[in-house]
Amino acid sequence: MNSRQSHRSLPCRGAVALCVLLVAACAGNGEGLDANGRPLVPGGSPTLPLSADFESIQENIFTPICSVCHVGGGAPEGLRLDAANSFNLLVGVPSTEVPSLLRVKPGDPDNSYIIQKLEGHAAVGSQMPFGCPNTQPCLTTSTIAFIRQWITNGAPPAAAAAAAVNGTLSVTSIVPDSMESVKAPPPQMMVAFNHELDVSQLVTHSLHIEKLAAGASSTVVDQIAARIEVSSANLRALMIWPARPLTAGRYRLVIDATSSSRFSDIAGETVALGTPDERGQAVISTFEVEVNP
Amino acid sequence: MNQRFIKNRRLLLAALMLTMVALLRAVPAAAEPYLAVQTGYKCNVCHVNPTGGGLRNEFGLTYAKVLLPAETLDSALDSWNGKLTDRLRVGGDLRADWTRVTAPNTSSQTSFSLEQFRVYADLTLIPDRLGIYVDEQIAPNGSQNEEAYVRYGNTTDGFYVKGGQFYLPFGWRLQDQTAFVRQVTGINMTTPDKGVEVGYEHAAWSAQFDITNGAANATTGSGYQITTQVVYTKPIWRVGIAGSSTQSNAGDRHVGGLFAGLKTGPIAWLAEGDIVHDDSFPGGRTLAAALFEGDWRILKGHNLKVTAEYYDPDRSVHNDQQTRYSVVYEYTPLPFLQLRAGYRHYFGIPQNDQQHQQVVLAELHGYF
Repeated sequence: MNSRQSHRSLPCRGAVALCVLLVAACAGNGEGLDANGRPLVPGGSPTLPLSADFESIQENIFTPICSVCHVGGGAPEGLRLDAANSFNLLVGVPSTEVPSLLRVKPGDPDNSYIIQKLEGHAAVGSQMPFGCPNTQPCLTTSTIAFIRQWITNGAPPAAAAAAAVNGTLSVTSIVPDSMESVKAPPPQMMVAFNHELDVSQLVTHSLHIEKLAAGASSTVVDQIAARIEVSSANLRALMIWPARPLTAGRYRLVIDATSSSRFSDIAGETVALGTPDERGQAVISTFEVEVNP
Repeated sequence: MNQRFIKNRRLLLAALMLTMVALLRAVPAAAEPYLAVQTGYKCNVCHVNPTGGGLRNEFGLTYAKVLLPAETLDSALDSWNGKLTDRLRVGGDLRADWTRVTAPNTSSQTSFSLEQFRVYADLTLIPDRLGIYVDEQIAPNGSQNEEAYVRYGNTTDGFYVKGGQFYLPFGWRLQDQTAFVRQVTGINMTTPDKGVEVGYEHAAWSAQFDITNGAANATTGSGYQITTQVVYTKPIWRVGIAGSSTQSNAGDRHVGGLFAGLKTGPIAWLAEGDIVHDDSFPGGRTLAAALFEGDWRILKGHNLKVTAEYYDPDRSVHNDQQTRYSVVYEYTPLPFLQLRAGYRHYFGIPQNDQQHQQVVLAELHGYF
């Protein structure tokens, strides 16, 4: 072998060695990890495999990926995607960016705003998860396909939520909850129940929002009308829409004194909502809006 | 040498129409850095953009017409050199795909798709000094600007400046945007950014320094992304180093990479290794990705691409690594037409079926 051949053989050997190294590199065996590749929490339950089931989608996508941002008082567009709230704030709820589209329209994934956001062709705003594909990977087509299939199947709730109907009628979640501070004016508020509501009784209810004076005072400085609605796609969530955007300040969501504070499910069972104040109104929630819209 | 390729301009329009007709039956091509390694050329030898990809220059177009395809056509195509006028050069890529994706415990998905149809234009305002470049994706999902910038300076020997929207220079500008190294770094041909690039081209050296918004700041405007790359190119090998740092309210992100190419006979070897530290994850996370690719030019117009990839989504977590292996055959029967068919197999942790996908793909690519 002459010196030129020897000189050339060195990078060749390096290339072969690197190739062998990469080809030999094995995928992880997954020991001690959940289905998302994250370490199992001691005592925690293993993650469900991803399927076209809301519980699985929540556990594999919404909780580990989306609720990093979409959680609590700082959730963008008021959309909280934690396990307690995601279903009720998604299914049958108009998008705040494109109100003509429902976030999830059961049976119609193409016209569900969440699909447009995940696939990156929504008319407004960025593709989700935010920052993808730069700061984090976008969801793969096959992953989105599970959400599509769940919507095509009618966007049913998780099995655990369906089973909750066996208990007595109760409130499962209020958004924003009492004493909560939200980073931006909530586009909508929500009271979720464990049973489907009797929508024929909705006409007996009316709510409004009161802005309170600064400090601990309960003096009302402004009153904002609110529209209530229960989507036919999700009869367990009472959605409340302010007639105008809230500005920075302290608010409370109140049932009108002339209105019934008892809500009925379709079996006729009732539950009282809110806590009576000094004027006899039922206060559902008191919360703080930190910044103006 | 350029005179060798100067064509009769009176035939340009006819040639363009003929090319467009051909494109209706064809598919696109984007950057293919293995060609650069096989030929020993720098990116700017074949592309208007000194960092590669997009519009081909006169030599690049001639390479695509004469040296790349299995069969070279004479007559009308010879007169197509991409120029509509002395100052305006155009080009394009169209890719149509068929894919079948399968994963354990999941019904397979099969679909045809229009991956992309893009057109490029470069207007020379002052020869070798000042120009405007546009890369517009026409389909799918409507028109979308990918690159649009003003370029001042010499992109073949000396300094130049780009200002506007453009792809960032980082590692191998692969055609496959789903490659782990392109996904993990977040710098690929789906993520153009707005800012300024200062570049330097001289002999074997290429270097770029970019200040851009950073995609993480797309809506918050809370910082900048700084990206730099240096490449040293010799006829049978090249090596490059790249780095990128983004400041953002969402969390700072730092990326470093090394890449190299080597030609051994008919085979071009490409390698890249990247490491990312991303503070947008709670507590921060370090990720790593690597690619090794071999491209065997079996015959003129026939290329066999074999790729092995590695991805570690969190260096602090054991047993979570993923790999991907691909075999793709590329057949370029005629100028401006390429057929690709391939198979990819993902491997990951056993409890996640989606990390065990298998993809069969076929692609029709037309370009001009």
